Amino acid sequence: MTRVLRRTRAVALAAVLALVATATAACSNGDDGLDANGNIVLTVKVFGGAGFGYDNLVKQYEKDHKGIKVKYQIVTDDYDNEFRPQMLQWLEAGSGAGDVVGIEEQGVGQMMSLSDAWADLSQYGLNSRKKDYPSWKWELGHTGDGKLAGLGTDVGGMAMCYRTDLFKKAGLPTDRDKVSRMWKDWDGFTKAGEKFVASGVKSAFVDSPNQLYNTRMIQEAGKADGISYFDRHDKYVLGKNKAVRTAFDYIKTLNSKKIIGKYQNLSDEWKKAMQADGFATMACPAWMMGVIKDTSGKSNAGKWDVATVPGGSGNWGGSWLGVPAQSKHPEEAAKLASYLTSTSSQVTAFEKISAFPSSVKGQKDPKVAKLSDKYFNDAPTGKIIGDSVRNFKPVYFGELHSAVRAAVEDVLFGMVQGTYSPSEAWPKFVKAGQKVVDTSQ
Amino acid sequence: MATTAKVPPRGTLAARADLKASPYLFVSPYFLLFALFGLFPLGFTLWVSLYNWKLAGDKTYVGLHNYRFLLGDDGFWGAVTNTLGMFVMATVPQLVLALLLANALNRRMRGRLALRMGVLLPMVTSVVAVAIVFSQLFSHQYGMINWLLSLLGVDRIDWTAGKLPSWTAISAMVDWRWTGYNAIIYLAAMQTIPSDLYEAAALDGASPRRQFWHITVPQLKPVIVFTVFISTMGGLMLFAEPMMFGDGRLDGGSRGDFQTISLYIVQAFRERNNYGMAAAAAWLLFLLIMIVALVNYLLVNRVRGTK
Amino acid sequence: MNRHAPTRLWSASPLTRLALLVALVLSVWPLYWMVVIASRDTSAASQVPPPFLPGGNLGTNVRRALADESSHLLTGLGNSIVVSGTVTLAVVVISSLAGFAFARLRFAGRTGLLVVVLLTMMVPLQQIGIIPLYIAMVQLNWVNTMQAVILPFLVNGFGIFLMRQYTVQAVPNELIEAARMDGASTWRIYLSVVLPAVRPGIAVLALLTFMQNWNEFLWPLVVLQPDNPTVQVAIRGLSQSNHGQDYSMIFTGTLLSIVPLVVVFAAFGRQIVGGLMEGAVKA
Repeated sequence: MTRVLRRTRAVALAAVLALVATATAACSNGDDGLDANGNIVLTVKVFGGAGFGYDNLVKQYEKDHKGIKVKYQIVTDDYDNEFRPQMLQWLEAGSGAGDVVGIEEQGVGQMMSLSDAWADLSQYGLNSRKKDYPSWKWELGHTGDGKLAGLGTDVGGMAMCYRTDLFKKAGLPTDRDKVSRMWKDWDGFTKAGEKFVASGVKSAFVDSPNQLYNTRMIQEAGKADGISYFDRHDKYVLGKNKAVRTAFDYIKTLNSKKIIGKYQNLSDEWKKAMQADGFATMACPAWMMGVIKDTSGKSNAGKWDVATVPGGSGNWGGSWLGVPAQSKHPEEAAKLASYLTSTSSQVTAFEKISAFPSSVKGQKDPKVAKLSDKYFNDAPTGKIIGDSVRNFKPVYFGELHSAVRAAVEDVLFGMVQGTYSPSEAWPKFVKAGQKVVDTSQ
Repeated sequence: MATTAKVPPRGTLAARADLKASPYLFVSPYFLLFALFGLFPLGFTLWVSLYNWKLAGDKTYVGLHNYRFLLGDDGFWGAVTNTLGMFVMATVPQLVLALLLANALNRRMRGRLALRMGVLLPMVTSVVAVAIVFSQLFSHQYGMINWLLSLLGVDRIDWTAGKLPSWTAISAMVDWRWTGYNAIIYLAAMQTIPSDLYEAAALDGASPRRQFWHITVPQLKPVIVFTVFISTMGGLMLFAEPMMFGDGRLDGGSRGDFQTISLYIVQAFRERNNYGMAAAAAWLLFLLIMIVALVNYLLVNRVRGTK
Repeated sequence: MNRHAPTRLWSASPLTRLALLVALVLSVWPLYWMVVIASRDTSAASQVPPPFLPGGNLGTNVRRALADESSHLLTGLGNSIVVSGTVTLAVVVISSLAGFAFARLRFAGRTGLLVVVLLTMMVPLQQIGIIPLYIAMVQLNWVNTMQAVILPFLVNGFGIFLMRQYTVQAVPNELIEAARMDGASTWRIYLSVVLPAVRPGIAVLALLTFMQNWNEFLWPLVVLQPDNPTVQVAIRGLSQSNHGQDYSMIFTGTLLSIVPLVVVFAAFGRQIVGGLMEGAVKA
């Protein structure tokens, strides 16, 4: 009894202390964007398995700019399901978004539709940055009413990552030039997959349906009219789009040949499989190489290599940095965004996390063009990726593209996982996207 | 009373005011908070549900459109089915196991307290931690449970594919956390059952098993109803477990096989930016809870009636 | 603790003992396994067959988990102690006051109000009303503040119900009458008669409330930001962030998230079991 009593007192005391702490915390949590020493605090919010590679750049910036502190936050690795909805919530709520935020390509349509949510970067003289970018990257960073709201960071040049050790076991070539020739086109890729499966090696040939699907879909769309789920008037056209159908049917075919692993990309299971020889190939946008390094870890160093992507060109992903209008220090934030997207910063980010520069000069920088990656058997990643974006044509992503993508890729994965039969998968695929459109009105 | 002289005049104004006002003062903090954080949100939810409501920007009155949409949406009905299905799958075995466990704990043996604390231990873990650990245990390729099954010659099960496997895995998380808690409650109630009931039965030659079903269980009925009631609330609100089991996403697997109503609601306002529809779904969930609570209430009355 | 004549207990049969042993192992196993993975390195979670013995990396992993900038685990632990502690204190005060009033004070509308309390017990209003609550927090500019996660959880009908039952049992009417004869005001009676008598009940309520709020997930997830989380949101962040693949660290995080509860349980387990059992019968 007395022990209970004493404990009650202790609990009560702790709670009182806690209450006081809350009160003081609430008071010091002023929203003028300054810390206790009067420094301007700028919060940088990004996403991605390896972030944006800004750790050292941020430190350097703080050193060069007295009175400015930068909080660099990698919020999550899942843009579509996690970062984008949260950012939307923060932008609409009018607080919490941060001062400099990442915008991924598949969400850029939605973010740029929220014109009021963004600071106009041209007000801070950043129209001068136009010369650094290819015109499509520059244009996509503008809102519907023409405000400059995003500065490009990287582009998602495409490559194909593969495991040399598993290829060897399966009797496939391991040399990257031979591998590139083997899957010069998608038929070649299919044949390689069939051979791999026939060899009886236990791993899956392809990591997940989603990665390969996106690679093929964007490649096909780029070759055609640059349209995928939405036309340029934001009408939902997924069901009639040839690029989408081609990519979907390709996955369906590969699945019927048991070439695709039952992993959903970015899931726990997928990450574990990457550590444990679960699959042998993976569509690799430039930024994905950073993810592989981080995820499959030291124990798998040297087992991965990089070849060209079937069909030659491609782009998947790539980002922008924007400054939310709610920022308390938009001018300082704009300057920081410009610094982080400068050509030299883009080169640094490439060295750190393999995010391929969108800056034209950056792409030609010897540090980029000549870069080879030790982790990937000294593969000349700079050249492979640079080649893939050379002939790339941009694809339009509608306002709801990212949300639709999350929903339809569930169906795509379901087909491989077995929750949808192959025959019902396509109609469900179209319907899942339609439902997102209906519920987002 | 040794000091009657000290008794103050009970009829003074202050004393009467104290008698009259104190009870209301004492209950007022609760009702004030309840009005602010219970009643007001409930009413406001109804209001929002009649609008096409975005956090920023226009709000247009749409009448019952959101309700019509939800009632015609197989995804929403799927969420209702999943919620009720997992509720039943989690609650029934949990309470049966808890009863048996309590009965086993109510025996003469050494280390009883240690055993009791042991079975109660899962309750003091944290919900997301449990969900993360169990999601690993149920991993398709790398999970311990599939590994054990493979030792027994059973094929690996993809626990996230399909209703039955996913419901099983999620129910296991819920059961693991709450079976011991319910067992302790039953155990407490068992110890209040008069021993002469058992002695009489023993004289009649009733076996322990017979005594359990004919004395213990009927005597525990009110407590059982109470635990069903508590489990109902938790079960219909299920959120953290299915979310973490589905890799932290709100979609409940590739076909929505384990998307609960709570997940559906959060998806509606977070991913679709559709606060009106989320509010309508919340109100339908409220109605569902009312219906289940009513069933519980009738059950209680029936139990009381038969006693 | 048990005022009833001890029931003559059957001795446990070997089969019962075995069943209890299995139950004990199942109860402890996931926690043990958490320790195993948390004390090894990254690859342990994807090994088949799985490892069964702890490794030697627990210290390193703890340091790494606490230092991980993107999950803000330390902030999460601190916030959760603040939030759960504050809610617990407030709920105990509010519930014991109202419980006393409902149990031992006479006033018009008592039955009706009690029915309202019982009804609110059935509906987790914080979860049903999540949309307007969020909209309101945005309007008040309270998003990402501690009051946003504290205030809605002060509404706790169960607490009042529990304290009413305790007060009915522990505070006889005569005691209150006697105090009134001594000239004590209602407030004084609450402080010097009721509170000391219902302390065991308060302890149970405090523990249950603390645990419940420690485990609150949905509302903090919606209204707080990743850089200022509660512990549940933080370990979710740990499993989602850029270190999402580092299972030894994730499991270390989950382990740290239950340490405060396990410490309380280890220190007061006996009282918790006793209090719960007593409370259950009264409820």
